[in-house]
Amino acid sequence: MSLLQKVKNFVRSKSIHVAYVDVGSCNGCDIEVLACLSPRYDIEQYGIYVHNNPREADILLVIGAYTPGWEEKLRSLWDKIPDPKVAIAIGNCPISGCVFNRPHSLIDPPVAKHIPIAAQVPGCPPRPTEILSAVLAMAPVVFKDYEVKKR
Amino acid sequence: MAFSFTYYLREFFRLEWLRKFLFVRTAPLAIPSYFRNFPELTGKTCTHHLFCMMACPAPGAIDVIRTPEGWHPRIHQGHCIRCGLCVEACPNGVLTSGRILETMFFDNTALSFSFRIDVDTERCMGCGNCAVACPVNKLIDPQMSHGGRASTDELLLKVSEGKCKVLHVEKCTGCKICEDHCPNEAISVARLLEAVHAPEEEP
Amino acid sequence: MKRTVDVSIPLGPVHPCWKEPARVKCETRGEYVLSAEVELGYMKKGIERIMRGRPWQEVMFLAERVCGICSVIHNMVFIEALESISNIPVPDRAALLRVVVNELDRMQSHILANFSYCYTIEHETLGMYLLDVRENVMDELERITGARVTCAYIVPGGVRFDLRDEDALHLRANLAAIEEEITRYTGMFENGPLIALRSRGIGVLTREAAREACAVGPTARASGMPETDRRLRHPTYQKLGFTPVSREEGDNYARIMMRFQEVLQSIALIRTCLDTLPEGPIRGGGIPGAGETAYSGEAPRGELSYFIKTDAAGRVLDIAIQTPSIMNIEACCHYMLKGVASLADVSSTFVSSDPCIACTER
Repeated sequence: MSLLQKVKNFVRSKSIHVAYVDVGSCNGCDIEVLACLSPRYDIEQYGIYVHNNPREADILLVIGAYTPGWEEKLRSLWDKIPDPKVAIAIGNCPISGCVFNRPHSLIDPPVAKHIPIAAQVPGCPPRPTEILSAVLAMAPVVFKDYEVKKR
Repeated sequence: MAFSFTYYLREFFRLEWLRKFLFVRTAPLAIPSYFRNFPELTGKTCTHHLFCMMACPAPGAIDVIRTPEGWHPRIHQGHCIRCGLCVEACPNGVLTSGRILETMFFDNTALSFSFRIDVDTERCMGCGNCAVACPVNKLIDPQMSHGGRASTDELLLKVSEGKCKVLHVEKCTGCKICEDHCPNEAISVARLLEAVHAPEEEP
Repeated sequence: MKRTVDVSIPLGPVHPCWKEPARVKCETRGEYVLSAEVELGYMKKGIERIMRGRPWQEVMFLAERVCGICSVIHNMVFIEALESISNIPVPDRAALLRVVVNELDRMQSHILANFSYCYTIEHETLGMYLLDVRENVMDELERITGARVTCAYIVPGGVRFDLRDEDALHLRANLAAIEEEITRYTGMFENGPLIALRSRGIGVLTREAAREACAVGPTARASGMPETDRRLRHPTYQKLGFTPVSREEGDNYARIMMRFQEVLQSIALIRTCLDTLPEGPIRGGGIPGAGETAYSGEAPRGELSYFIKTDAAGRVLDIAIQTPSIMNIEACCHYMLKGVASLADVSSTFVSSDPCIACTER
């Protein structure tokens, strides 16, 4: 890997675009992701820009327990994100299905069955600080040696 | 237009805004002490009442395992929803989370468990599987025959006159083993949770 | 009649402005929206089916997770329905503490809704200010209940934790700060020429239309229907002398101002509660018994009803939940969007009615 690529990857890892997708949660994790935007936690000071456009995202935050409405849609959303990309599971729902993982429920957890999940943030819901540290921990990993891994 | 400019000028040249703009810092990524985090062990001895598992609303969040040193509750992150019911339900204070233990001590509150056994006499065949399987019965009368009949009345469950009878419901530990062994779904155990003030201890 | 429809434009399910997946299909002629339909079905988890046959301590947590934003009121309505089935008395202190936590939850929900609206009309400064105030409210919730979002505070016959004296002092001080800031931001919203241009007269829901669509909550009260507030029929709120506020305009501006007013009203309610908080126990005990009932409460988005049937051991045999958002979504897509809004205003109008997809579909 050339020095230029290394510099490029380092610079890109300082400016992360985050998209989030709600595949059937209770909204609790959604608003905690929103709370990360607030001036108290201020996710943008770390160079992380949260918006909801998968086409330009580097990190996808998956929230929720995978309901039938998202069959194939989540996969196609994941395919639309350009490489390099990682997905982070926020909250218990994508990890285990949380309290909804009971007989007769419609959900199909874990989300890792459907798209590759790189990191998990347990908690129902996790605190904004926990989400923030997870995103910060994943940010250097996304671009590291990307060209080498691609080959 | 002029109104807009003066408005924003007035907004941004307040002393408070300037001070915030120049000197404010984002708070450190710390978790406050009053947050109910994942329960942790306090080091007290677990007496294997299993109230934590019975109170837990999330599937697969807590189990109590046996180690050479004794019983230990284990919290599974990714399943635990941090509700703190296990902390309140534990009679010995084995678990702690946030300020819950402290508040329970101050407010003198507790969660009390009681159990209720319902036998559907229409469906009960008097096979006695429940009485034989019951671990409380095993301690009281280890020689109970497989029909569930016994001479003593100190038992929790007993078969008499072809039907299962509940004799001492206060001895029930809520394990639901009888439910599992009933071939006809005639017996059901309800775990009743009650939020109460702990009774005043006599000095 | 023959209609000329240029193009049908779907918005969502993944949309930059919407936090939750829903799809609004707009039939448009040029810029103008002729009609709109909301397509749901991305969040259906089957919560009511899971709840059946479970004891209250499990259903309580499932009820909270019907909606994460207004979790306290779901908890409160479910528990009060159980209490009304089996006549469990609630101590006075616990009843007032319930109101305190419920109003804090309403405040954070309203501020979040207003943040979403400001974010959608791209007035990010005001949005971020509001989100900062919301963190203060969340702090107070966390101090009292120990959790930020799903608090699990209300149990049959009382509440789980008492309000400590130092927390009450902290709450009072913080309320004063929040009130000052909210008043200032209300002024910014009210007088800011850019915000008003984008909000006044857009997405109008007249009083008649609101009644036809069965709109509830702030959406209905912004159209001049204060009697839809279920808090008027709650015994504790009646004791506190609660009177709802309402506005007449019925447009986006009125709905957002309505929420600001309700936040200020909630602050006043919490102050009254703190002033009149009696000493005493916070838990009365009591085990739910058999029976069935329908019970309603006022969620931040409107009227929330639970129908519950329990057996003798307090297990939930049958349950049906009616959440407020479904009526407001109906009012939004069939009355507010129709013929009035241009395509640029669809997302802001949709957000201004504060739809909560998670509670609509459960």
